Amino acid sequence: MGYITNYQYYTNNGIIPTDSNWGSYQYVSLADIVNNFMLMYVGNDKLVNNVDRYNVLFHAKRAVQELNYDALRNIKVIEFELGDDLKMIMPPDYVNYVRISMLNNGVLFPLVENRTPMSATSYLQDNNLDIVFDVNGEIVTGTSRLDILRQEKQLYTGMGPYQGQYGYYWDGDWYFGYNFGKRFGLNTEEANVNPKFHINKAAGVIDFSTGVENKTIVFEYISDGMENGDDSLITINKLAEEYLYAYIKWALLNNKYGVQEYIVNRVRREKTATLRNARIRMSNLHPARLLMSLRGKDKQIK
Amino acid sequence: MINEVRNTVLSILSKDNRGYITPFEFNLFAKQAQREIFENYMQQYSNAYLKRIGRAYGEGYTDVPKRIAEGMDIFYTSSNLTYSGTHFNTPANMYLLDKLVYNSLEVEKVSHKKILNLLSSNLTAPTTSYPVYTYDENGLIVYPNPTTAVSAYYLRFPLDPKWTYVAMGAGDSDPLFNPSAPDYQDFEVSGDEFTMLVVKILGYCGVSIREQDIVQIAKTQEIQDTQQKQ
Repeated sequence: MGYITNYQYYTNNGIIPTDSNWGSYQYVSLADIVNNFMLMYVGNDKLVNNVDRYNVLFHAKRAVQELNYDALRNIKVIEFELGDDLKMIMPPDYVNYVRISMLNNGVLFPLVENRTPMSATSYLQDNNLDIVFDVNGEIVTGTSRLDILRQEKQLYTGMGPYQGQYGYYWDGDWYFGYNFGKRFGLNTEEANVNPKFHINKAAGVIDFSTGVENKTIVFEYISDGMENGDDSLITINKLAEEYLYAYIKWALLNNKYGVQEYIVNRVRREKTATLRNARIRMSNLHPARLLMSLRGKDKQIK
Repeated sequence: MINEVRNTVLSILSKDNRGYITPFEFNLFAKQAQREIFENYMQQYSNAYLKRIGRAYGEGYTDVPKRIAEGMDIFYTSSNLTYSGTHFNTPANMYLLDKLVYNSLEVEKVSHKKILNLLSSNLTAPTTSYPVYTYDENGLIVYPNPTTAVSAYYLRFPLDPKWTYVAMGAGDSDPLFNPSAPDYQDFEVSGDEFTMLVVKILGYCGVSIREQDIVQIAKTQEIQDTQQKQ
């Protein structure tokens, strides 16, 4: 793709959305990557020859995914209001979370992950506690009891130290969340005043504990950069462009029959070195930032 | 060039009164000779290209693959394809399909063995950004189904040469060459194929008039000419 004029950059030629070109100069498109590779790295007088474009496309996309997982850290941020079910469906391009925060009185409170399950697949059982199957022989599932308990905290009106506290009533007994810490010592892993969340990968949802219903949640996550399958939207930062070429070259030669091992090793080292370079470049380690951090070295801790 | 070729062929044939070929026979032989030379370009180009990779050829005037490619380039053309509902029909004069283009994007050819894998692939399924096609007896199938015109860029067959003439009276020995006739068609292969055209046509003439020595001379000359070009 050719360069665009300043007018096109700032106003998109007056076409809505007028901001679609802002910051676009940082990026190179997937189409450019594939085209450049086919043009410059494929040929009978080059290391790579007789390769189909879809092979290059596949490895280019894999390289983009790999970069998105760690080096690029292109973090997407969404905010939403949580409902009473305390569940959030993962975004369609979700790969992993970076941070989940709760917006309360204009302040972001980072939430802590709770690794114990907050919901489960609930098998329906009959009166004899036998599992119920449908006509196809599949197990019939219902609403998770964990889900219900999480959402239906009840006020304990009985006597004793827990009077007036909210807890869970189950099978004739009361359960209070904070008893865990009091009785067995503080669980430092999860010790936090803020609500918690649990990533339910199988269900594709994120469960939250009570206390965040009807609150605004700010969700930071990473994707794989595939833009929901729209190839024309896939871009990569120019600082990592060389890595993409090196990765594609390595992937093609590494899987090709008859390529000498020293050539495979050469391109593998090139791939590793360019990834390292890309990481350093993307980490933005420049003197001004280091200076900013070092300014705090003399500050007395009271 | 066609008249010079015919005159040369007739001169060689008429020596020692070996025989004569009619304009109709000449046109048939000329068509066959040109087709052979044209189809041989591919092999010549492939061999020369491999030699260039091995640095057997240099640049400029010593760049043999370039010269062969230029000979082929005059047959390179393009046309919009017609759609039959499921397939795109290939042009009737197409010799070798180079590429398909739609929406200014090249459509990549995919083998029948791979197309199903490709269609079910998450990362590499054909899209409007990366379209593909397959080729079967009914024509070309483009994935995804294009909404704009599809153009084919291809090498076409050379037009059939035709030496046209004005018939003379009964007493005249040879018809008169008439390049103004509407169906006149000169050779399309480049001028440096003159010798090859003559020897190939001579070869067919020798078979036609049963002159073994003509066939032998033509074969020897053809081998020499081919070796010189490599």
